[in-house]
Amino acid sequence: MLKSTGIATNKDLETVIPAKERLLKGPVAVIECFEKIPCNPCYTSCKRGAIKEFADINDRPELDVDKCNGCGVCISNCPGLAIFVVDEAYSETEALIKLPYEFFPLPDEGAFVTGLDRAGKPVCRAKVIKIQNGKAQDRTPVVSLAVPKEFSMEVRSMSLEDYYSDNTIICRCEEITLGEIREYIRKGYQTVDEIKRISRAGMGPCQGRTCGPLIMEEIARATGQNVADLKVPTYRPPTVPIKLGQLVGGEKNE
Amino acid sequence: MNKTASAVIIGGGISGCAIAYNLAKKGMKDIVILEKEYLCSGATGRCGAGIRMQWGTEMNCKLAKYSVEFFETANEVLEYEYDIGFKQGGYLIIAATEKEVTQFKKNVALQNSLGIPSKFITPLEAKEIVPHMDETKIIGATFNPKDGHLDPFHTTQAYANAAKRLGVEIMTYTEVTGIKVENGKIKGVQTDKGFISTPVVVNAAGGHSQQIGEMVGINLPIFSERHQILVTEAVEPMQGPMFMSFSQNIYCQQTPHGSFIMGRGDPNEPRDLRVTSGWEFLEEMAKTCIKFLPPLKDLRMVRQWSGLYNISPDRQPIYGTVKDAEGFYLACGYSGHGFMFGPVTGVVMAETILGETPTIPIHMLGIDRFEKGELLLEPSVV
Repeated sequence: MLKSTGIATNKDLETVIPAKERLLKGPVAVIECFEKIPCNPCYTSCKRGAIKEFADINDRPELDVDKCNGCGVCISNCPGLAIFVVDEAYSETEALIKLPYEFFPLPDEGAFVTGLDRAGKPVCRAKVIKIQNGKAQDRTPVVSLAVPKEFSMEVRSMSLEDYYSDNTIICRCEEITLGEIREYIRKGYQTVDEIKRISRAGMGPCQGRTCGPLIMEEIARATGQNVADLKVPTYRPPTVPIKLGQLVGGEKNE
Repeated sequence: MNKTASAVIIGGGISGCAIAYNLAKKGMKDIVILEKEYLCSGATGRCGAGIRMQWGTEMNCKLAKYSVEFFETANEVLEYEYDIGFKQGGYLIIAATEKEVTQFKKNVALQNSLGIPSKFITPLEAKEIVPHMDETKIIGATFNPKDGHLDPFHTTQAYANAAKRLGVEIMTYTEVTGIKVENGKIKGVQTDKGFISTPVVVNAAGGHSQQIGEMVGINLPIFSERHQILVTEAVEPMQGPMFMSFSQNIYCQQTPHGSFIMGRGDPNEPRDLRVTSGWEFLEEMAKTCIKFLPPLKDLRMVRQWSGLYNISPDRQPIYGTVKDAEGFYLACGYSGHGFMFGPVTGVVMAETILGETPTIPIHMLGIDRFEKGELLLEPSVV
C-alpha cells in the first residue's frame, strides 16, 4: 500500500510507534521512515545517541526510546520530513505533536488550526503551541500542536483553516454552524434526523448531502461512538430538486 | 429498569407532551412519556403545520380557538429558549362548488358567533390576498386572518422542555409492548426497557392509537391512513395565507422560512401504517397546485414524505375515559388535526385525568358517542 499511496498503513506504523509505556512517560520521536535509501542525517544529528549507528547507510533508522528525550533536533534534519515527536504526557486530555512544516505562511502561536492525518484528511482541531524556526531548523520550521490525545498518532500535518471552529458552516443550504450542531448534541439530540428537525440542517435543496455525513462525524466525536455504529439519516425523494411544472409533464427541468 | 409512575403517557408528539406538561403544572408528580423513537418522529413532525379556526362544527371551532390563543403566547408561557415560529398569515379557504358556498356561509356564521373573525369574500377579494392565484377557478372563499403556520418540532420541544423542568421524565427510543389490566383497572405498561407500574395510561400514540387500544382489549373505532406532502425550495415571501380547498383536495402554504409546503389526501389510500412516498401523489399534487396557483409551476420541490392521519368516524378528536379499563384515557382520532389542537388537548385531558371540570366541555367527544350514534360530522377536512 505504502508504495502505491505513499500513506503508511497501521501495519507499517506498528514497527515504528514506541510502546505505550514509553509514550506515557513524555516526548519521544516517532520515525515514520519506511524506505531503504542511502540517508542518515537523523543519526548524525542526534546528540544523545538515541538513533543507532547505521551498519549500512541504506538501513532504516532504529531508535533507542530510552535514550531519546524528544528534543526534536532530528525533525528538521530529516530530508524526508518523516520524523515527529509525540508527547502523550502533555496534559490530561491533550498530546503535543511536533511536526516539520515547510509551507508559508506559518501560523501564529496560540492559533487554532486543523490537524490533518497522513492522507491529508481533517481529523481534529489543533492549537499551535510553539513554532521553532531558528538557525538550527535550517528552514524546516517545527510546529508544536496540542491535539486531543486520541489523535496523537493520527495528526501528521495541519491546515491553517480552522475547520472545527464553532463558526464553520456545516449546512450550507440552511447556514447552520458547527457551533449550533454542537449545542444540539450537548442538549441530547442523538441522531442526524433529530438535529435536522430542530435545526433545519439538511432540509435545503441539497437534502443533507454535505451536512449529513459531517453531522454524523460530529455526533461520533462528541459522544465517543464510531460513525459506522450511528443511525443513518432518512433519505427522502427526490434525488435532485424538480420543478412542479415538470411533474405534470411537458416541461424541462433545466 | 422497573419503576413506578403516577401516569404514563404513550406518544412523544404534541399531544403527549402537552398533556404531560399540563398534568405536571397542576402538581402531579412522577409522570413518564414513552416515545418509540424521538420527539415528533410520528404524526406531529410529519404534519402540514397549518393552524386554523375555520371549522364547520362548534366543537372544533372552540378547540381550535383555544389553541390559537395559546399559540399566540406560547413562547412566553412555556419559557421557550428558541421560537415556535407562529406566523398568522391567515387561511384562504376557497369554494369551488355551489354546495361549498352554502356550507361556508353557514360555517362563517357559526365561527363569527364564537368570536372567530372569518368572513366570506368574492373571488376578486381573494385575489387581493393571494395575487398569484387564478380567481376564475373559484366562486368564493372564506378568509380568517388569525389562522396560520407553526413549527411542529419547536412547539413540541417547547412543551417537552417545560414539562421536563416540572419533573416529567421523557423516555425516547422506548417502545410500549403491552399494557397490564387487572379487574378492569390499569396496572402498568410493559416496554422494551422494563415494566412501569402505573394506575393511569394515556393513549396519545397518534397513528398507532389503534394498536395501543388493542393492548387493553379495546377496538377503537378509528383507523390510520397515509397522507402525503411535499416541500419546495425556499423563495422570497409571496403568499401570506394558507390556500386550501376541501372539494379540490389541496392545502398549500408558504412557511415563514420561504418554502412552500403542500399536501392532499387520496380517496383510494388503504388503511394501514405505511409512511412511504409515492410518485402518483407528486403528479396529482402538482396538477392541483398549478391549476389554482399557476406561477408555482417554476418552484422546485426538494422533498416529499408522509405521515398518518388517525381518523375517527366524525373527523373530530376522541377524548376521555373508556368503560372497560379504569385509568385508560384516550387522546386520539384527530383526523389530521392533532397538532393544531395540541394546547387544548393538553388542558382538557389533564383536567379529565385529575377529575376536574374541563375548560371546554368535552363529554360529547367521548368514545361512547359512536355507540350512541351522536355524531357531529366535521365537513371541513382535506
